[in-house]
Amino acid sequence: MTADPRTRVRSLDDPQLFVETPATIYDAVPPYPPSTEREAEFYTLRDGEMLINLGPQHPSTHGVLRVVLKIDGERVVDLDPVLGYLHRGVEKICENSDWHMVVSHCDPLEYIAAMFSELVPVMAAEQLLDVTVPRRAEYIRVLACELNRIASHALFIGWLALDLGGLTPILYGFIERDEIVEMLAALTGQRLLFNYMRIGGVNGDLNHEFMSRLGDWMGHAARHVNDSQTLINENEIFVKRTRGLGRIDRETALRMCLTGPPLRATGVPYDVRRAHPYGVYPELEFEIPVREEGDSYARYMLHLDEIRQSIHIIDQVLHQMPDGPVTAKLPRLLRPRPGRAFAAIESPRGQYAVYAMSDGSDQPFRLRIHDPSYFNLQSVGLLTPGHLIADTMAIMASLDPIMGGVDK
Amino acid sequence: MLTRSWSRLTLAGKVVLPLVAVLGGLTALLMLGVVLGIVQPITAFLVETLSLNGGLVRFVVAALAVLLFAIPTAFIIGFLELKVIAFMNLRLGPNRVGPWGALSAAFHGFKILAKEDFTPTGADVPVFTLAPVIVFLAPVLGFLVLPFAPGLFGQDMNLAVLYFFAMSGLGVVGLIMAGWSSFNKYSLLGALRAAAQIISYEIPLTLSVVGVIMLAGTLSLNGIVLQQAGSFLDWFAFRQPLGFVIFFIAATAEGNRTPFDLSEADSEIVAGYATEYSGMRFGFFYFAEYVNVFLLSALTVVLFLGGWLAPFDLGGVLHQIGVAFDPRLDPGSLGIGLLIGLLVVPLLIIIGLAVPFWLAKPGLAFWKALIIGFLLFNVLAAGAVLLWAVASFEVVQGLLWFMAKTYAFVVILVWMRATLPRVRIDQLMGFAWKWLIPAALLNLFVTALAVVVVDAVTR
Amino acid sequence: MNLIPGVGIIKGMALTLLRMFQAKATVQYPEVVQDISPRHRGRLQLLYDEYGALKCETCFQCAQACPIECIDMGGVDTKDRFHVHWGPAEQYGERREESALRRSGRPVPDRTSEPFATLDTAALDRILAAEDHDPRRMLTILERTQEAYGYLPVAALKHISHGTGAWYAEIYGTASFYGHLRLEPATGHVFAVCRCPACTFRGAGRAVAALEAALSTTMGASSPEGAVRLVPAECHGASPGRALVTLDGEVRHDIAPEALARQAIQLRAAHGPEGRA
Repeated sequence: MTADPRTRVRSLDDPQLFVETPATIYDAVPPYPPSTEREAEFYTLRDGEMLINLGPQHPSTHGVLRVVLKIDGERVVDLDPVLGYLHRGVEKICENSDWHMVVSHCDPLEYIAAMFSELVPVMAAEQLLDVTVPRRAEYIRVLACELNRIASHALFIGWLALDLGGLTPILYGFIERDEIVEMLAALTGQRLLFNYMRIGGVNGDLNHEFMSRLGDWMGHAARHVNDSQTLINENEIFVKRTRGLGRIDRETALRMCLTGPPLRATGVPYDVRRAHPYGVYPELEFEIPVREEGDSYARYMLHLDEIRQSIHIIDQVLHQMPDGPVTAKLPRLLRPRPGRAFAAIESPRGQYAVYAMSDGSDQPFRLRIHDPSYFNLQSVGLLTPGHLIADTMAIMASLDPIMGGVDK
Repeated sequence: MLTRSWSRLTLAGKVVLPLVAVLGGLTALLMLGVVLGIVQPITAFLVETLSLNGGLVRFVVAALAVLLFAIPTAFIIGFLELKVIAFMNLRLGPNRVGPWGALSAAFHGFKILAKEDFTPTGADVPVFTLAPVIVFLAPVLGFLVLPFAPGLFGQDMNLAVLYFFAMSGLGVVGLIMAGWSSFNKYSLLGALRAAAQIISYEIPLTLSVVGVIMLAGTLSLNGIVLQQAGSFLDWFAFRQPLGFVIFFIAATAEGNRTPFDLSEADSEIVAGYATEYSGMRFGFFYFAEYVNVFLLSALTVVLFLGGWLAPFDLGGVLHQIGVAFDPRLDPGSLGIGLLIGLLVVPLLIIIGLAVPFWLAKPGLAFWKALIIGFLLFNVLAAGAVLLWAVASFEVVQGLLWFMAKTYAFVVILVWMRATLPRVRIDQLMGFAWKWLIPAALLNLFVTALAVVVVDAVTR
Repeated sequence: MNLIPGVGIIKGMALTLLRMFQAKATVQYPEVVQDISPRHRGRLQLLYDEYGALKCETCFQCAQACPIECIDMGGVDTKDRFHVHWGPAEQYGERREESALRRSGRPVPDRTSEPFATLDTAALDRILAAEDHDPRRMLTILERTQEAYGYLPVAALKHISHGTGAWYAEIYGTASFYGHLRLEPATGHVFAVCRCPACTFRGAGRAVAALEAALSTTMGASSPEGAVRLVPAECHGASPGRALVTLDGEVRHDIAPEALARQAIQLRAAHGPEGRA
């Protein structure tokens, strides 16, 4: 396209409107000349190739993600993800708000697993304030986080199956998740965006309602997820669609900075809870599930293993829970010392980290959020070319991105 | 008081209530006329003068009957799909709209009517408009040769099976027209996938039926059903098990049902060929899919499971246990007693049914109890008429068995949709060409060999 | 993995068939309401303790802590000297509707700056008892209150809130919605003209036109300086052969348009230099 980008032409959607860059009806190539090599490579179409937009509104992109596929018939030749449709300026908002308010802003970043996205800035602030969190609060944090991890994995199994066409496992996952989320609502007051973590502890102690629901749930923990296993694990169609798909080897995974289940599925036993322990994880016994194959099926099975490990952790936490306060005594107006802090935890998607810079005032100077989905999503461009369009969904679903975290 | 009640009705109520009243009045008049012997000469006169028995009129009536059958079938199957998948998902599905949510699919249909009907920019309008018509036409035309009951079929062609598969091929043309004319890459992909899929699966479909044709000796569907008469084990499903399985799998693929529904895979290419359609045009695709489901199940039943044949002889069983049922009624012999009976007996039954409700529930107005009684009376009367019809007419018996078996297979198709994920296009094609066609050919050879050998031996 | 292909599919289908006949997880909402946990944060209402007193201390902490600054509070200080953005808790409901206006910079009539006079609640108690303290009959209660007191004082609304259990904000909403309910005492003179067909035949239309012109206003509103109001009246068919026009409740006998206009101008002039009565 060599048209001058400043001329106004009639829009093809509404002939009364004049627009600068009309959506051309023949292909998705932008009307200005390519400005980078990558753009030039991507937007030159060879014979028989076509650019198709898995648009921001699509039933299977996990949130609003736009992926421009270059396809040759059914085979994907190249892939260009376009991010930013859910960008809310969270990091900038955090710069203008109190250290306490940062929790409610960072909550909706990984909205499915909100406990983790709240925990990280809180840990960074605690490092800057040199606060010791009471032990009971630490145990409650682990309990809440592991419950949230199970809820998040239940949903992952559901939408992996949904993207492949199976309608049932996601509903079973939601039944499971509903129980857990009602439990956490009894504890925190909300079902999705908990706003539970506080600098120096948590917002409220455990109450009877939460404990009774937890007790009921532990009796049949994750039984609906077991159902999903019967429907998915041995189903020939499912296995044929995910086995051998999106295979990553160790070196590529480490080079692409993958974390979490996609990394552990390639054989690298890296888990932040063991590599850089935080909270009371050093006192808890659990294994790090690892798989060797590195394909989508291995990532799926790894999530199931992690659910079992989480149940084991919850069991131990309930046995070892000490008494005590649930928040540290802190002044109302927090002024951490000027400096930098880095806090990383293991969220259901991988290593979730925050790099906080404080200049001594009551507002953070900078809060840089390293969300695992952002890094994991990069590998989609590496894994998909060569597969069919249908596999794009399978690969993306098995990497488990949450666009809230990707776009921040 | 009457005007106040009238003004409180909604528009629908204002239409339906007078209609019901008029219909009730006409029915009453008709019954009166039958009883008094007036109606018979009038109808005879009409048939003679207007030559209502002529070919054209019969054709129009038959076409109307087929269409009027297809649409409620689509609603029923749509409802089954919603409810059965919901139950398998451990949820309740629609349960507000009618009794147990039965009217929900019908309301989905009406809602689709109310949507905006547009053509996208750049679409090829005549082709775009005709495509849903052709897609709807294909399964509806297939109803023509389906034997619903002994003597109840549209046309007993001696090429019925061939006609049938030709009509499924017609559906492909409609899909490709839809995808191509939508001016949308998703639609194009969906249409091409659909075309490749349906064409590939036509072959195992037809090959698996050839075995049945060899055994039955005729291409006529009615003939195939009659050849399965005898006992339950004479059905072709037991004589051609491999053919049955292949046919069912290929039929699932022909109908674009999960696990082979990638042409409308709504997690990949939005709605495939139907992406740019809305309003009644989309309604046509929607109906066509459900009518196709019914058609394929019906075909499975007719070809392999004995069509309208009963698996066991109910009359014989009842005879064994000593229940004799002579359903021949002669209402004319009652004379004027019939009229009195028709007027008095229903009222008595309604009151009799209403009184327990009125007594049991305190605070229930008597007229409300009467309405409940009336509804129950209708149910009982319908049940009694049905039983009489089943006992006295072979047609009704056959029809009920046919419907039961067909809906069993419809439920199996819906069950597969609830449980199974989708296959990929290359896996789909591989499965058809590398597994189903060799299996169908194997089936064919074995059947042919068996027929020849058995023939030679018994000669 | 299974040796026989297809067994996995059969197992899956057997599971869904089994599930089809088991108890469903759906909660049928309007018939079955699930309990909400006591810590549920979704209900935006101020809580009362077991003695009926508001728990809110108006400490302003919530407004300060809110990350999106969506909480606003207002009122007077305890010595009634100035308005501040905090105050007695009962006024919170009243303030919330005005907070949007406040942010726009427009001046808002600050009703709470008038110390609310104590009210003789005897009449109000009688009305509430007659209406059975039923909050669903709020409009009737308010109309009768206005009849009793002439307008709806703030203290009366609070008394009604305590008596019926309805929120003050809801009562305020109802009162401000209807045109015939006044939240301020009626000032000035009132010309009331009936507009039923009988009165119109007898000259009410001309009377209304003359009054509208003299008062430079329309039916239902008051003259620009607020001295005289023109409201519709109901004669209930009792007019003795002439249109019903009342001034401050007294029936006027001379309803010639010129006479009415003259009197209206006189009343306006009488009130003019004194400002608003």
